[in-house]
This record gives sequence, C-alpha cells and structure tokens, in this order.
Amino acid sequence: MQIRDYVLRRLMVLPILIIGTSLIVFTLTRIGGSPIGIYLSHEMTQDEVAEIEERYGLDQPLPVQYLTWAGGMITGDWGWSGVAAAPVRQVFPNKLGATLELAVAAGVVAVALGIGLGTYGGSRRDRLPDHLTRVFSISGAAMPIFWFGILLLIVFWVGLGWAPIGRSNSNLFQSIAHPTGLYTVDALLAGNWSAFVDAVWHLLLPAVTLGFGTTAIITRMMRSSLVETLSEEYVDAARAKGLPEKLVLRRHARRNALIPTVTVIGLSFGFLLQGTVVVEIIFRWPGLGRWMADAVLRGDQATIMAYVMFTSVLFLMVNLVVDVTYAYLDRRVVLGA
Amino acid sequence: MRRRIDRTRSFWAILLALAMVVAACTGTDTSDTTAGGTETTAGEETTETTGTTEAPDEGTDTTAAPSDGAVSNPDTFVHAADDEPTSLDPAQVEAGEGGETVILQVFDRLVEFSPEGPDLVPGLAEEVPSDDNGLISENGLTYTFMIREGVVDHLGNAVDATDVKYSWDRVLTMDLPESNAGVLAENISATEAPDPQTFVVTLNQPNAAFLNSVVTLAVASIVSEEAVEANGGIVAGEPNEFMATSPVGTGPYVFVEWNRGENLLFEINQDYWGTPANLDLRIEIVPDPDVRVLGIRAGDYDTIETDPSFVGDIEGAEGVTIFQGEFLLEPIHIAFNLNFPPDQIPADDTISADFFYDPLIRQAFNFAFDYEAFVNGALGGFGAPTPFYLPQGVLGYSEDLPVYSQDLAMAEQLFTEAGVWDEGFTVSVIAEQGNLFEIAALVLKDSLEGLNPNFSVNVLAVAEAQFDEAHASDPLPYAMWVKNADPFADPHAFLHEYMNPDGNWGQVHGFRNGYQEPDQIAEMIDEASVITDPDEREAIYQELASILYEDPMWIIAGNEVAVMAHRDWVQGFVMNPLWPRPSLKFALFDKG
Repeated sequence: MQIRDYVLRRLMVLPILIIGTSLIVFTLTRIGGSPIGIYLSHEMTQDEVAEIEERYGLDQPLPVQYLTWAGGMITGDWGWSGVAAAPVRQVFPNKLGATLELAVAAGVVAVALGIGLGTYGGSRRDRLPDHLTRVFSISGAAMPIFWFGILLLIVFWVGLGWAPIGRSNSNLFQSIAHPTGLYTVDALLAGNWSAFVDAVWHLLLPAVTLGFGTTAIITRMMRSSLVETLSEEYVDAARAKGLPEKLVLRRHARRNALIPTVTVIGLSFGFLLQGTVVVEIIFRWPGLGRWMADAVLRGDQATIMAYVMFTSVLFLMVNLVVDVTYAYLDRRVVLGA
Repeated sequence: MRRRIDRTRSFWAILLALAMVVAACTGTDTSDTTAGGTETTAGEETTETTGTTEAPDEGTDTTAAPSDGAVSNPDTFVHAADDEPTSLDPAQVEAGEGGETVILQVFDRLVEFSPEGPDLVPGLAEEVPSDDNGLISENGLTYTFMIREGVVDHLGNAVDATDVKYSWDRVLTMDLPESNAGVLAENISATEAPDPQTFVVTLNQPNAAFLNSVVTLAVASIVSEEAVEANGGIVAGEPNEFMATSPVGTGPYVFVEWNRGENLLFEINQDYWGTPANLDLRIEIVPDPDVRVLGIRAGDYDTIETDPSFVGDIEGAEGVTIFQGEFLLEPIHIAFNLNFPPDQIPADDTISADFFYDPLIRQAFNFAFDYEAFVNGALGGFGAPTPFYLPQGVLGYSEDLPVYSQDLAMAEQLFTEAGVWDEGFTVSVIAEQGNLFEIAALVLKDSLEGLNPNFSVNVLAVAEAQFDEAHASDPLPYAMWVKNADPFADPHAFLHEYMNPDGNWGQVHGFRNGYQEPDQIAEMIDEASVITDPDEREAIYQELASILYEDPMWIIAGNEVAVMAHRDWVQGFVMNPLWPRPSLKFALFDKG
C-alpha cells in the first residue's frame, strides 16, 4: 500500500468516526435528561413550556432532533447557550481564545520559572538555594489552586492594589478588534501598546496561579535531572579539561538534563488546561473552563454538546495528523495497515 | 561539620518558608472570606433587628468606615452582579432575572416607583393617572397617559404615544413565554394612540393594581418603533435577537456592549428627558460571592449584590458601608402539592395522594419548621417570617397579622390528631442546589426528623435546569419543593398567584382539594382586586391572611431584608425593593 492510499483510507474513515462520536455525544447527553430545563423560568405553565419546546425543536422525535443538531454542527448553528445567553457558535471562539491565552501564559511562567529554579537549585545541591527551591516545589505541588489564587487576590488585589482582576480594562479594549481572541496578540496587532500592557497585567495573577503547580513539578524534575547529570562521568571529564563551572553547566549538564524535563512539560499542558476551570472562576476569566463549569452545573446541554463535539473532532484530527506523520516516518506503519 | 551546617541551614530555610506562608495566611483577613465565620457574626448582630417581624422603616447604614483612599474609576459607576442576564429585551425578560436590572436603566416606563417607596411618579407619562386628575375613567376601565414631548431614543428617533402603543402591542403580539406578557394580556382589551401625545388603555375589568403591578413592570417598558422595525421587527412567538442583546430605549443609560462572562457597558444618555446620569455605568458579572467581597474591599466595585449570609465578611471593612433597606418582595416558601401523581413521586415517599388535603398536617408542618434557625442562620438575621401571603411592604401587611413560629408541642398535637404521628411518613423535597432554597429544605428536614424519628424528609438538591423542568411540570411529580416567590408590588398578584384555588399554583397544586372554603377564598381575592378604595382592600386582605393562616398552602420560611454593600464614596445611595433586583437605579448615584 502506498502512503497516499493509506492517507486516503484514513480520511475516508474520518467522517464515520465523527458521526459515531456525534451519536455517542448526543445519546449520552440525552440520557442525563431533557435539555429544556435551562430555557425555562420558574413560573411557566405547561403551555408556555410547550412553546419553548417548539422554539428549540425539542417537541420533535429524538432522531429528528439528532439530525437537526448534527446538521447545525456542520452548518455553524451550534444551538443556543442558556448560560451565555447567546448562540454557542458566537461565544465559543472568544472563550477558547481566553482559555488558550491563559494556558499559554501559565505555561510560559511555568517553563521559565521551573527551568530557571531547577537549574539554580540543582547546581547548588544541598545548599540554601537548593533547599528553598525544594520547599517551593513541594508547596507548589501541595497547595490547592483555589486557595493560592484567593491568597494572591487578597494580597495583590485587595491589599496592595497592584494587580487587577478580570481579563482587561474594558475601556481600552472597546475599540480594538479581536481577530485572534487573544487579547495580548490583538492589542499588538492593533498597535495599542497600553492595551497590550493592560492585557499582560491582567494575565499575570491568573497565569502565576495556574502555572504555580506546574512550575513546581518542572522545578523538581529539572533539579533532579540536573543533579543526576552533574554526577555523570562526562561532566567530570569536562571539569577535568579545565572548563569553567558555568560552561560545564550550560553546555554539558543543563542541555542533557532538559531532555526528561521537556517530556514533563509536554504532559503538563493538559494539566494546565484542566486547572483553568478553577482559575477562571476565581479570577473572573471569561474562558471555556468557567463557561463549561456553569453549563454542567446548570444543565446547559447545547453548550456541553458543542464543547465535547469540538474537542472530540479536534482529537480525531490530531490523531490523524500523528498517524500520517508516523506513516511518513516509518513505512512499516503503512505496510502493517 | 559541613553536613551539620547544611542541616542547620536546611532547617532554617524550611522554617522561614513556613513562616512566610503562615504570615500570608494570617495577615490578610483570609478567614473573613469564608462563609462559616459570617453567619455567626451577622446573625448575632442582627438578632435584635429581626427578632420581631418589624420591617425597617427606612434604609439604614449599619456600618460606616470612612475611606482614606482616592475614588476608584471616578467617571464610571461599577456594580458587581451575581449573574449574567438571559435577555435585555423587555418583551422577553423573565421576572426576577438579571436582564431586568439592565432594562430598568436603559428603558423608561409610563410611570415609575419613586426612590422613596411605593408612591408612583411620572415616567414617560407627564402625570400619574388617578381619579382626581380624571385620567382614570369613572368605571375604572380606561386609563389615559399624556406622553411627554421631545423624548428621543438612544438612536435619536422621536418617541411619542405611537411608540408606546407599539411597545405594548409588540409584547402582546410576541407573547413570549419567558416574559410577563401574560400579565398585559390578562388586563388589557385595547390600546389606542389618538394623537402623538395621548395613549389610552382599556382594561378587561377594573383593576385597582393596574398601575402598580402592570404599568411599572419591565415588560411594559417603552421601545422605539423605528429601532425595532429596523432590526427584525415583530414576529409572533419569536424573540428579537437584536433587542435581546442590544437594547435601544429612552432611559438614562445608553447600552454600549455586552462582553459575555465579563461585563455590560453603558454610557450616560446626554439627551435624556429627565435628569441625566452622573456617571457611566459598568455592570461586572461576578458569580463568586467571595470575589465580590474582595472586589468591594479593593475598591474596584462601588456596589455588590449582597447575600445576607456574607454580610459578616464585609462588616468592618474600611471604606465599605452596608445598607440595610426594606424587605424584599420574594419570600422563600416551601410548597405543599395536593395534586401530585402518586405513581410518579420518588419511590421512597410513603405519603398518600391525599396526605396534604388535611389542614391539620399542613398546620403541623408550619409549626414544626424552625424559622429562627433559617432566619438567623441562612439569612444571617436579615429576614423575618411573613403572613399568608402579604410580604412586608405590600398593601395589607400588618405586624398584627398571624405568622407561624416553631411550636413543637403544637406540631406533635396536630400530627397526632391527623393520625400520622405513630406511623410516620417519608416525603421528598426538591430544591435547587447550593443556595438558600436547599438550606430551607434542610431546615425542614432537621425540624421534622428531630421532632419524630418516624418522620423522614429526603432533600433532593438538583441543578437549576433540572429543578426548573420539574417546577414547570403539571402535574408536578414532587409533593414538596422550595423556591422564592416572584416579586410583585401589589398584594393581588401574590394572592392570585400563590393562594387563589383558581390561580396558577392553585390549579397545579390542587388547592381545591384542601381548602376548607375554596370558593370564599377565591371570591375574596377577586373582589379585592377590583376595589379602588385602599382601606377597603386592606381590610379584605387582612381577613384573608387570617383565613389562610388556618388553611396554609405553603410554609413561608422567611422574607429577606434588602441588603447592599457599597463604597463610602457613593453619593445619593438609595434602593427600593419595588424596583427589579438589585433594586438600584444607578443614574441616581454619584461618586466623590
């Protein structure tokens, strides 16, 4: 089989997988109950409930409802979000942008601090800086995000008045277009420096809160890895050659110590995305996590189904790309298939 | 030796880090943000105020700490709301929902409640119709409103009587189930605009509460015909997405932007026909009460929607004042369903279909409930019991009306007389999870199960959507549920909705199965609604309250006092529970 045939076959299977996924998503959600509740108010009569059912097509047989929903997902009508009081499709990009921006910022904080502190501690094994970084990493791993976030708010928002809450100063961003949904990027694209600074300033506390746990893990990983690397014979050889300790560390030890750390960093991104739920609630960050938490708690099925469908399709696509990449890299994958 | 020194350093390093963490925890009032501490403090401090059923006569500042700092956001008033609106269109907004807050600021109505209380003041109408000024016909069926000249909407379109007629006809045509359109439809037989300054309404039958309970509603707000027609017009039975998300009115604030999950922005309407607002307005969406508390402490929010249960977190905060006003008009009640389908209620329930037919059992439940625990605990002392069904502040309410208080001996006697004391029962109560309603259900559980081990109450705390779906069912498949009443300004609305055997809940719950004198109750409620003499109405309502006390169809757990925290720099602060929650008109405020 040629690689082209393999790719074509995978592409042909993809729609079947997506349809199967949509059936599972629809069925599982409906097992949890009717989606009508989120659209009702407390004093509605049966006739009024029937009107609402008709408006959202919930008076139709389930197969028809499924086809309507699945068709809407293709054409861009993802339903009405009762939580956001807007079409899901309209709200989704903004929320996704907010969450990605937060997760990436937290990732940057975690990687920069984690590698820096891990290197600093690991290169000073059993000395005060090393102990401090170990205390830092243990506390980061042990401290609940919600508690740490509230603590930062009390100190830096309420006490010192240094940091703001929310995503931005609305006045600054009122006139700025949001082509990417990432406020920092949008501000730069608009050439508005003060808006960019404001966006970064708003990002700081939630990013630190979200990144703290991951920072601790990366710090610990980096430190351990560096300590192990520094005891390798080739490091002794480098020292024996008369290289300065800084060069030994930078050129020989740190580079090799980074290999297992980078693996951990990759795995941590999922952890960061999970953590956004709590951080977004505490810091009033209008992202996907807070929206989904609200949707789940209030039974907003249109929002939940759109989100699950989106992530499922994204996963299928990523999986396809990975498989195709493997096929190009290793012919046995194609032959085996 | 080196090893020893390292260990010593290690010890001091750890100690230092721990000290920093502890210092961070104890030096910044973290404990104030927990709910546990607040209930006790607030409860203790307010017991004296609410130990009786007296409503505070006027708004009072219970805590005032001067602020030394500069005013934050000097050009913008910032309010922290607890929830996102669902629609900003008067034709779609739900009663008691966050959208009403926006509509109150962006739209005008023909007449309004004054800031001082229940008196009506002119809105877009130049005068409040009355018998004296001849704007109410002798038979009480025709109301004439003289519309102000020179009113323009936020897009610059002139607004006159034809727009008023258009606005009300629009609501009636759209007839959206979420809205209060039914209230207009029930009352109005015709609308006319004979000339640009005159709007005439003809009622189906005389209604003494027409101005108070219909004309002042959010659904009766005036929209601009040009603005609506340019953006989707009117389609029967379908919401108008433009108006739901970008309202255009004539009010003191111009809607600017709605950032979902973040805030709603408004600007001063410089062309307002009345006194313009002093500041721009920003309503921040802050569902987490702890963050609202931190925000007002930080000075970022000027007012926050305040739940009595976290007043203790704010009391004593520098620069923050807690305003304690009138009672809200949303008593929290626990329903008796006399019409549940026995085969559809939760399987554990052992009560028969006619269990609540017996007034002795309903009285016994009312005597068993621990009102003090609910008011002083869940409401933090900011509340009081309420007579049937006349909340504090509406016509007919009196401190002398009978209200239930916990009397366990009486409860035991009544349960015994009803024949259920020995055999006991199991009943389920459904409530929305994580709020005062769930707590009320738990208090009922504790009260009954503490009274008799043979009594069992299952509290079903469910998500809002699940509760709403059950609540809208008919027949309703639960014997008991907990919620608050919809807010109304007139007693007829409460009595018709919650007590009339032929009213909405009377039919769903089968009140005719239980009332001793259902016809008499229905007739008295209907009779009082068409009497225009307030004293005569009041007398009927007070007689009704006594009859309904003997034949209770609800347990009224308590009525909340309106509580609002605001920064000291807010000038002209006033709240009126007759305005939609949070009962604030921001255009009246200034900062300095």
